[in-house]
Amino acid sequence: MAITMDGVELGVSISEKAAEKIRYFAAKDGIGENVGLRVAVKGGGCSGLTYDLKITDEVLETDKIVEQYGIKVMVDKKSYIYLVGTELEFSDGLNGKGFVFTNPNAKKTCGCGTSFGV
Amino acid sequence: MSTQRSALYDAEAATGATFRSTHGWEAPAVYSDIAAEYAAITTAAAIHDASYVGRLKAAGEDALDLLNRLSTNQVIDLEPGQGAPTILTTDRGRILDLIGVVNRGEDVLLITSPGAQEQVIEFLDKYTIMEDLEVEDVTPASAMLSVIGPGSGAALQETAGVSLEGLSPYHNVAASIAGEEVRIVCRPMGELASFDVLVSTEAAPAVWESLVSRGIIPAGCDAMEATRVRYAVPAHGSEMGEPYNPLEAGLIGSIDFAKGCYIGQEVIARLDTYQRVQKYLVRLNFSLGARAEPGATLLRDGKPAGTVTSITHLPGAEGPIGMAYVRKTSADPGVTLELESPAQGSAEILDLPQLFGPGEG
Repeated sequence: MAITMDGVELGVSISEKAAEKIRYFAAKDGIGENVGLRVAVKGGGCSGLTYDLKITDEVLETDKIVEQYGIKVMVDKKSYIYLVGTELEFSDGLNGKGFVFTNPNAKKTCGCGTSFGV
Repeated sequence: MSTQRSALYDAEAATGATFRSTHGWEAPAVYSDIAAEYAAITTAAAIHDASYVGRLKAAGEDALDLLNRLSTNQVIDLEPGQGAPTILTTDRGRILDLIGVVNRGEDVLLITSPGAQEQVIEFLDKYTIMEDLEVEDVTPASAMLSVIGPGSGAALQETAGVSLEGLSPYHNVAASIAGEEVRIVCRPMGELASFDVLVSTEAAPAVWESLVSRGIIPAGCDAMEATRVRYAVPAHGSEMGEPYNPLEAGLIGSIDFAKGCYIGQEVIARLDTYQRVQKYLVRLNFSLGARAEPGATLLRDGKPAGTVTSITHLPGAEGPIGMAYVRKTSADPGVTLELESPAQGSAEILDLPQLFGPGEG
């Protein structure tokens, strides 16, 4: 089920903590404002498909873009079908896993959580 | 699907060769005498029209990167002229196919098992999301001649004027034979040296003629199948396929345990770490007069211990030889297993073959 914010359907929603961490990594790359996050799916990983995060301001024609917590979250059309309704959270602490995806389309997920199958 | 014929069909038919259907191709079974062909393969040099073996052209700048993410071996850093075997596995760690990745510089060629092209293309397509990769089946549009035997390297070097010494599996060189451009790929059959000569369909007859005129003996599919079993090379459909994982099939030498994730990696790593492999591929020597078909059950102390996957008679040999999957507890050289009726006789385990060596793990 797609997640909405103020009536807008989100391909990928990000938590406030995830947004904070994205801004932190963008700042390390010298990007202070207009932070863009590309969320994509690539073939590979233990279960067949794997998540790919990239801080970029490059927008593709086929992107679906939703701004959340000041971050422009971009998802290309091909990845979108695998990611509709996905939530991106950040898990920190000593045993934290970093960015964590909760994807309702994933029928199986590998042990480390970075790969999934549909 | 209509039966395909190789570019050499007419030349082969003119020699009196008999043909048989293999993976949708009408391929020469025997040229004149299987014993002489087998002897040439195993003691000298022979040439086999392997045009029916699957070949896919993988074009696009992400080809090696994607293959590295989808298969068991490290292929991302293959330079032009280099190559490597790698295995496409399912997310349950089962074998889809063993493929040879051949970096030709201008593109990447994937040598698949005969008839497995469509399955491999579907698998690659499924996982190509954003990547720049186009895969095309070039099997019917080209020819492939295997020069095989202990003398194959020397015979080819002399004809093509290039050095093939020390070439690793699937490493390759551009060369010229009979004035025609070819690419020679090292593709050993177990411990037996073998090289594939890749050539256009138009140039194939001249290249074939040039090699045969140097005394390299043409060998058909029957002698090649006997050789495959003798050198314990697993075949797609009998020893390789979704019932088996690469560790059972002796393919550990095509797995890189340190390269990171690929499809099925978690399962394969766990099987290796906790030594959970349940059965192994073995090479068998059957008793004199033994009779069995693939699928026959092997018994130890009256209980099922394994299943025969291939069986063949070597020209001039007494009993048949073969391959089987045998439970780990019985998979040791020297162990004798009985064939369950209606098969007859027994079989001794010779060894546990490992196609590309024991690996680094």
